[in-house]
Amino acid sequence: MPSTQTPPIAGTAIDPPGVRPAIDDAAIEVVAPADVRARLETLKAEGYSMLLDLGAVDYLGRTPRFEVVYHLLKMPTSAASVAQVGRPARLRVRCGCAEGVTLPTVSDLWKSADWAEREVFDLFGIAFDGHPDLRRIQMPHDWEGHPLRKDYPLRGPARERSPRPAFGLKSNVQAGTPPTGRTLEALQEQIKKAREST
Amino acid sequence: MSTTPLTPEIVSHEGNAMVLSMGPQHPSTHGVLQIMLEIEGETVLTAEPEIGYLHTGIEKNMENLFWSHGQTNAERMDYLAPSSNALCYVLAVEKLLGVTDQIPERAVHIRVLNAELSRIASHCVWLGTHGIDLGAISVFFYCFDLRENILDLQEAAGGARMHPNYIRVGGVNGDLPDGYADRLDALIAKFPGRMKELRGLLQANPIFQDRTIDVGVLSAAEAVQWSVTGPALRGSGVAYDVRKAFPYCGYDQYQFDVPTRAEGDAYARFLVRLDEMEQSMRIIRQAREKLRTPGPYAIDDTKIFAPPKETIVLSMEALIHHFKIVSEGFRVPPGDVYQAVEGPRGELAYYLVSNGENRPYRVRTRPPSMYNLQSLKGIAPGNLIADLVVMIGSLDPVFGEVDR
Repeated sequence: MPSTQTPPIAGTAIDPPGVRPAIDDAAIEVVAPADVRARLETLKAEGYSMLLDLGAVDYLGRTPRFEVVYHLLKMPTSAASVAQVGRPARLRVRCGCAEGVTLPTVSDLWKSADWAEREVFDLFGIAFDGHPDLRRIQMPHDWEGHPLRKDYPLRGPARERSPRPAFGLKSNVQAGTPPTGRTLEALQEQIKKAREST
Repeated sequence: MSTTPLTPEIVSHEGNAMVLSMGPQHPSTHGVLQIMLEIEGETVLTAEPEIGYLHTGIEKNMENLFWSHGQTNAERMDYLAPSSNALCYVLAVEKLLGVTDQIPERAVHIRVLNAELSRIASHCVWLGTHGIDLGAISVFFYCFDLRENILDLQEAAGGARMHPNYIRVGGVNGDLPDGYADRLDALIAKFPGRMKELRGLLQANPIFQDRTIDVGVLSAAEAVQWSVTGPALRGSGVAYDVRKAFPYCGYDQYQFDVPTRAEGDAYARFLVRLDEMEQSMRIIRQAREKLRTPGPYAIDDTKIFAPPKETIVLSMEALIHHFKIVSEGFRVPPGDVYQAVEGPRGELAYYLVSNGENRPYRVRTRPPSMYNLQSLKGIAPGNLIADLVVMIGSLDPVFGEVDR
């Protein structure tokens, strides 16, 4: 069963960063895929020296469908640079990207983006242009589909084809599971015998 | 996962180079890590860690469970420090709910206490296994004895040794039990002597020093490039600690230092972790004092935190709230949040997106182990295979979290 969740409505708190109440200590920027590389280069030059994390969200049913989120950290890397860089600060760069659109890689700016981009590619199917080694990382190399997409069934495509035992049934005996002869009739027979013997 | 299609770079047999697959069942890889090594003699030319053998789709699972079930899953990622993971997830949800400042003080201190205890427990496992990697068996028993005391405390508070599920959205699951304080005091009294023994076993041990000094050197710039955080980053001389940089849970009221070392080798990371255990104990002693005053242990909002079970038979409202929370959870206003805590391995964070329903729309973990482990690609080349074992140990990855 694919996800039944509806994506957050456009225009709610997560959408334009301006109307969003400040609930965490990160600044937020929204960038288009064409500008993301240039913007991240500028930010790195401004002192955002660490790419904390790179992840993606699938807003199925909205355009653009995906959003790749870069979490950046500005911090002094030595006692000497404390005055220059100032207090640590976080920044979140959100980049909406439609299905099939590739994003430029940042693995040459931050080496750590290597695995993070591979993971987004593996689990969401978003490709990164210029990545040195864009292979699957978590799933087996011959896996089909991208599991963290919202239209990917929770239990996997193979198990999705067989009907799921309904929780509405009183016992899984009725769902036809036991091959050991413990059918409903056999169970009732057993109960009857037990009653008779007492 | 599954490296079967070797990349062309790896199978190039130039000169005397050969390809060796280390793991995923190798005992010194601390779990299911496979490293594709290109070696010449005993020298590593390239190392490409292959992960994913433990991938269980925890993030996808969490998206299909109630908000209140999330921390149960979070605890299973970094199973050596469950309370840190649960704390991070819970703080993120509370931020989305906007109830961060309504959490009672006692609950906050209990959370700090548990997070620091699980940091010490996690470092105990790291130190014990790191010692075994290098042939020092006895240190393992001392460490696991200390960890056992902490697991006993976890069990007393939460009911389970490994995954206590004690920290909940809105507070903690019940007050600390009777007798807990005495056992905690016993641990506090025992700790300094035990640390002295642990240091005595390894710190000045010439074999240990030979194996770790100048091995796996990670410069500050490299560490930042690889997004290494936690003790590994501080071992390279960067004093970044989330508890100081972005205080949460009132860590700014606690007195503690951030130990750093400039050398950046495996020995520096070892010393930083040992110092960190002592600093954690310092925080625990302060939390112990703050916990002397009784008070509520959970938020006074029955829409988020179910009322005590005893009240159910007395009050209709309590029964309704209990039923609602168990059967459909609570709703969280739409929004997204990035919440980080200082886990035993580094900056552990959750990026949560809510669409206003009773389940998270997206749960993204920032796994510190994964980023720390990735730096192996940078530090392994040029070293011996035997030193690779030291490097993996000194980066302290946990594969439940790397693969999720």
